[in-house]
Amino acid sequence: MSATTVRAYSGRRSTMAALRLSFLQFMADPQWLIPSMIAPVIFGLVSFELFRGEGHYYLTYAILGAGMMSMWGQTLYGSGWATGQDRVFGTLEPTLQAPTPYLYVVLGRVIWNVASGLLGGLIVYLVVVGVAGSPPAVPNPVAFVLLFIFVMLTLAAVGVVFAAFYVYTRYAGFIQNIGEFAFYVGTGCMFPVVLLPFWTNPIALFFPPTWALDALRYASIPGYPGFAWGFWPDIAGAVGTTAAYLLLAGAVFRRVERHVLEVGNLADY
Amino acid sequence: MLTRSNDGPAIEVRDVRRVFESRKGFLFRERTRTEALKGVDLTVERGSIFGLLGPNGAGKTTLTKILSTLLLPTSGTALVLGHDVTKETDWLRPRMGLVLGGERGLYNRISGRDNLRYFADLYGVPLTEREGRIREVLERVGLTDAADRRTEEYSRGMKQKLHIARGILHRPEILFLDEPTIGLDPKSARETRKLIRSLVTDGVTIFLTTHYMFEAEELCPKLAILSKGRIVARDTVDGLRTLVGGDRTIEAEAYGFEDAEVESLKHLPGVSKVVAEEFGPSMRLTLRVRTTETAIAEVRSALPGHPELAVRDRRTSLEDVYLDLVEEEAR
Ligand SMILES: Nc1ncnc2c1ncn2[C@@H]1O[C@H](COP(=O)(O)OP(=O)(O)O)[C@@H](O)[C@H]1O
Ligand SMILES: [Mg+2]
Repeated sequence: MSATTVRAYSGRRSTMAALRLSFLQFMADPQWLIPSMIAPVIFGLVSFELFRGEGHYYLTYAILGAGMMSMWGQTLYGSGWATGQDRVFGTLEPTLQAPTPYLYVVLGRVIWNVASGLLGGLIVYLVVVGVAGSPPAVPNPVAFVLLFIFVMLTLAAVGVVFAAFYVYTRYAGFIQNIGEFAFYVGTGCMFPVVLLPFWTNPIALFFPPTWALDALRYASIPGYPGFAWGFWPDIAGAVGTTAAYLLLAGAVFRRVERHVLEVGNLADY
Repeated sequence: MLTRSNDGPAIEVRDVRRVFESRKGFLFRERTRTEALKGVDLTVERGSIFGLLGPNGAGKTTLTKILSTLLLPTSGTALVLGHDVTKETDWLRPRMGLVLGGERGLYNRISGRDNLRYFADLYGVPLTEREGRIREVLERVGLTDAADRRTEEYSRGMKQKLHIARGILHRPEILFLDEPTIGLDPKSARETRKLIRSLVTDGVTIFLTTHYMFEAEELCPKLAILSKGRIVARDTVDGLRTLVGGDRTIEAEAYGFEDAEVESLKHLPGVSKVVAEEFGPSMRLTLRVRTTETAIAEVRSALPGHPELAVRDRRTSLEDVYLDLVEEEAR
């Protein structure tokens, strides 16, 4: 038996290949950029009206609210959606037959989705600042931007777990549509968790963006009441839950890739 | 570079079964149970093209997917290049090529070349060799001129060629081709078969499924016939011809025969089988015989009173054998 010690694939290279594929597919129809730019504009305008006059930091609240709303979908579901597309195109089978674990492909798409999600955040920022006529009073703009990106990354970690669900079953999209709004509210992305009924808290606490977003609110809104114990515990909570999600994603993907070979539903769409 | 595997058969399948439990609907589930493979045993030697022939629903795709690590068998063992397809996927996948073919399975909005680049990366084709290899396989399948067009503009035949190009890009030791000419117009199908023949080089093993007997006859020195999840025959083309007890076929046509006439033909010396079937407005009897020296005359005299009777003989084709075997299984 001529066992080989050479691994046939490179995970990093496959991730870059998936990122490149996302870019090429986007460039094939760049006009899709327009609808995905309209949503952040609308969210920004609505959010501005909602928070107008709510204290000194209403602009920050407006930007965070609308920013999360517009980035949420892309980052959280974008990778899963792409997997669903793999089912529709019939490319899921050849992709899984390749030596590279599918997780690396998903990671490439996550990078793409985080990048395009951030574009939505930028649009929201420009719209809100545009209608307000002045930038928000943010004590530390650098921390604000870094934490914003951090929120996106924690969101993306959850997106990876979601993507596994799309490999698992072709009904993932259907289930996601039902659960989406409840999930969005329940996790404290729309309103701060402190405003939500107590029973939703466990969901929120096992959701990394809750922590990251709370940290972001602490850092950018002086006097923010928060739901936890301060800025650094929030960061720790975000890092911890994100790590848990990434570990979960690794385990879930291995299982799911095995499960679909057992069931034989890779060609379903 | 991957090490090549040692000698020994390319494929060894022992008592492989596969059951599909399918459910329709999401909330209100209706369960159906299909036994797609009912205990398949098969050994395929290295090199050349092995054909798996069978009608629709026989289980060809199911077996192909099991061998190419896309599906687990419900029970039984399958070794490819001496390695277990259920456990040694990391070893096997880089050494296998799979062409499921069809309209789907490609990224339609991007070019053929970009499709190949993506899969070259996933298959770990050395980066320094990637572009050269892509040029080489595009040339080989005849898509050089169309390489930079979006695949959604490709014809069915061109897509099939791109599927094959993807299958050979990483220079697999074994290539699985599932019904490679299905849905192609006759010209593309002929080109595709020519391409497949040209792939038999450097000891690559090709495992090809088809439901066209003439395709198996043309491409596959050795083949097995799969019917309703079972291998019903396994031989060379010539071996299969003798399997039905004769390599000549006599056809007798008239506007109808009595049952007694059909029975009497069965008792003629050298006749191993008689099948009666409607044939347009008339009826046709097909006889499998060992030799036609006396048989034509005897058939004529056994069927008196049919002025319109036409009798002719021909060499038994693989298609005849195939239909015999598949029909026997169906009965
Ligand atoms: N994923 C699946 N779920 C349920 N039944 C399936 C599935 N795949 C194949 N089958 C059933 O298994 C049998 C064999 O199918 P298949 O292997 O596709 O045959 P072939 O390729 O020879 O046409 C058919 O009855 C088919 O309906
Ligand atoms: Mg098939």
